[in-house]
Amino acid sequence: MKEKLSFAERLKRAGSRGDFASVLMLLPAVFLLAVISIYPFCWLFRYIFYDYNGFTAYYIGFKNFTRMFQDAIFWRSVLHTFEYAVMKLVIIIPLSLLLAVLLNQKIKGSGIFRGIYFMPTVISSAVYSLIFGFIFAVYNGVLNAYLQKLGMIHSPIDWLGSASIVMISIIIVAVWGGFGNYMILFMSGLSSISEEIYESCKMDGANGVQSFFYITLPMLSPVLKVILMLAITTALKDYESILVLTNGGPNSRSEVMFTYIYKLIFGSQTTPQIGYATVLSIMAALIIGVITAVYMYLARKLDDVV
Amino acid sequence: MEKTHTVYSKKTKAMRSLLFLLLLVISLITLYPVIYIILGSFKANNELLLGGTDILPKTFIFDNYKQAWQKANFAVYTVNSLMISLGVMGLSILTTTMAGYVFARKKFKGKELLYSIFVAFMFVNVGSVSLRPLFELAVKVKMNTSLLSIILISTGMGQATYIFLVRGFMNTISKELDEAAKLDGCTFFQIYYKIILPLLKPVIATIGLLSFRTGWNEYIMPLVFTMSNDKLRPLTVGVVMLKNSGDGTAAWNLMFAGSTISIIPIIVIYMCTSRYFMSGLTAGAVKG
Repeated sequence: MKEKLSFAERLKRAGSRGDFASVLMLLPAVFLLAVISIYPFCWLFRYIFYDYNGFTAYYIGFKNFTRMFQDAIFWRSVLHTFEYAVMKLVIIIPLSLLLAVLLNQKIKGSGIFRGIYFMPTVISSAVYSLIFGFIFAVYNGVLNAYLQKLGMIHSPIDWLGSASIVMISIIIVAVWGGFGNYMILFMSGLSSISEEIYESCKMDGANGVQSFFYITLPMLSPVLKVILMLAITTALKDYESILVLTNGGPNSRSEVMFTYIYKLIFGSQTTPQIGYATVLSIMAALIIGVITAVYMYLARKLDDVV
Repeated sequence: MEKTHTVYSKKTKAMRSLLFLLLLVISLITLYPVIYIILGSFKANNELLLGGTDILPKTFIFDNYKQAWQKANFAVYTVNSLMISLGVMGLSILTTTMAGYVFARKKFKGKELLYSIFVAFMFVNVGSVSLRPLFELAVKVKMNTSLLSIILISTGMGQATYIFLVRGFMNTISKELDEAAKLDGCTFFQIYYKIILPLLKPVIATIGLLSFRTGWNEYIMPLVFTMSNDKLRPLTVGVVMLKNSGDGTAAWNLMFAGSTISIIPIIVIYMCTSRYFMSGLTAGAVKG
């Protein structure tokens, strides 16, 4: 086969194999990858030593880094990110798993329930956060109106403006918007567990709770690990909803890493501090990366034990 | 299986109704904000500003929609939202089916490396920072005044999952089909166009729906790109902007109508096609 071919012949062969066609067909996707994903990633490192306001850039050496380590608001926003992620996961994962298991039982109307629970995930998080903003409103909000009518509270609660409550309000919105997503993922995991195992378990006299802990959970653990990882990284990156609900307030109480960074670049209150923001973004990406790595390590360790 | 059991013990029966009740309550909580905003959009503004627990409007009025449509630019926003989502949908289907086909059927040097770069950038997410260089780039090539930049960016950010979906589905299509078509004189592209594309219909439906949703719901990226260009705003940006604008606190009726306009189309689409939505989601996430 390895005979010498002239350039023209090789060209012809490549043509008939579809080489040119495949290059052309791959080109749009590769072009988008290069421009939309790779280019901004490389750009990130361009201004880390600069004070850049969108028009002019001044070299300032390591000042962005020293500023980062002294920036109390940023590190508080890191803590808030963790607080948000942990609280969201602690509620959303058990809830969606429970619903998935229940709906897997072929209860009457389970298809309709599933359709309803998944519905929030098709709505823009910006818009449903806006809607929750109306529901949470202090004086004319419907949530306070209900609670007052039921006599559970005497004076209206400032759901989004009080430092001690704002995180809870944000979590409520996040859970509402996301649980259907994880429920569907769990359900697809459950569908791979065969009915026969449950049957034989029933014959052995196990009740629903027992069969959940002895069969469902262990059989689900590979899927559970993937879903948990997805949920962790998603929760750490959430910020669109917070931006609409509170814009990080009151007094930075609901500021997470990415709302803080967003405001440094695109906020209208101050001049853009893009150089500093790129440093913080790299830090944020590192933090998320480390957490993901730790999680994967722990998940594997757990595998060895169980 | 359950149907064969005719006699339940009292305890299981009570347990089952309790669980059913739980499911019902959660459904109500899930549906409430949507119903609240839809019904609220027919209320007069002073009724909204007064608050209260009544979910039904005292009298149904349609003036909010008229105002939103004419005075608050929602006609323009709706057209923009449609253009963006249809653009993202069409472009995503085009580029990802072609790329997935090449990845599945063509052998070339560095294929797996290129593929893993696609997958890796699915996970690299540095938040809004990446929008800054893209915006500067758009300004440089004078694309910041058209929706095309928004469409391209949204497509680019979502394409890896879809390529992954197509490639996976392609592996279930027999290669003998390709061979047969080749013997009949089809070129590489013709095989894609005439044989593969029709077979990819289920994946195309999934990609179409998911990418339409992405385009329709995009918020931060179009917000950044239309900061100084009101004419290009999609519904999401337009309606949230009302909140931040000067008379925002007072214009509840406009925001209710705007929110409704922005969520109704996607919910209707979802109700007709929920199966594809869910299957696409699980195929993309768990099997990855």
